[in-house]
Amino acid sequence: MKRSYIGVIILAAILMMNLVFTQYMVHQYYYENYVNVLIFGGLNIVLFPLAVFAYKKTINMRA
Amino acid sequence: MSDKNKKIPFNEDNYTHNIERNNERRLDRRGFMKTLVGAAGVFAVSSLPWGAVAAKELMGLAEKEYPHKKITDVSRLPVGDAVEFKFPGEHDDAILIRLSENKYAAYQNACTHLRCPVFWVKDQGEMICPCHHGKFDVETGAPTAGPPRRPLPEIQVKVENGAIYAVRVKRYEA
Repeated sequence: MKRSYIGVIILAAILMMNLVFTQYMVHQYYYENYVNVLIFGGLNIVLFPLAVFAYKKTINMRA
Repeated sequence: MSDKNKKIPFNEDNYTHNIERNNERRLDRRGFMKTLVGAAGVFAVSSLPWGAVAAKELMGLAEKEYPHKKITDVSRLPVGDAVEFKFPGEHDDAILIRLSENKYAAYQNACTHLRCPVFWVKDQGEMICPCHHGKFDVETGAPTAGPPRRPLPEIQVKVENGAIYAVRVKRYEA
């Protein structure tokens, strides 16, 4: 059975974005730009349902 | 070979014969993807408290306002002298220094090293902690010598009708 690894790649990209957003959020907090903290915290939260969606869409894909 | 190794231990003691199918514990693609999704969930949950404290800061809840407290009368504090007071609580020692005619500096004077009371040395123009000889800059509260590494928390003061009032404690800035 040949598998498609597109889902893995998408999820890895999402995780990378999670890392970047979290880092940025924490730094913006200490720079006291609280609006940016809320924006990137929100993005981080949005990424989770996106990841679930990507998982469900790609789990049964065949190459 | 004896039969010893083939015997399945009874259930509560069965730590060895517990693989139901081949490659059961192997992390396959599906399991790996599930882990990734779970990690995204952890990230999402862990950004909640940061958002909460940021929102709190934005709504101004962190800027605590204490009831203004009279420290002393202007006429009773000559230029260059200091007076000790308590602000905001009954046990929060603080010091007010009159630097010039209209310039005051006030700090919570618990040394940021080990909380000894910092006092004002008039002829040296420095705030000194007697315990380990830490020194603080009187203009900013920043540590200039000795063990302390963090500034003293500044207290905002205002002068009204010839009396000096403590207004609020400034946010600690790292």
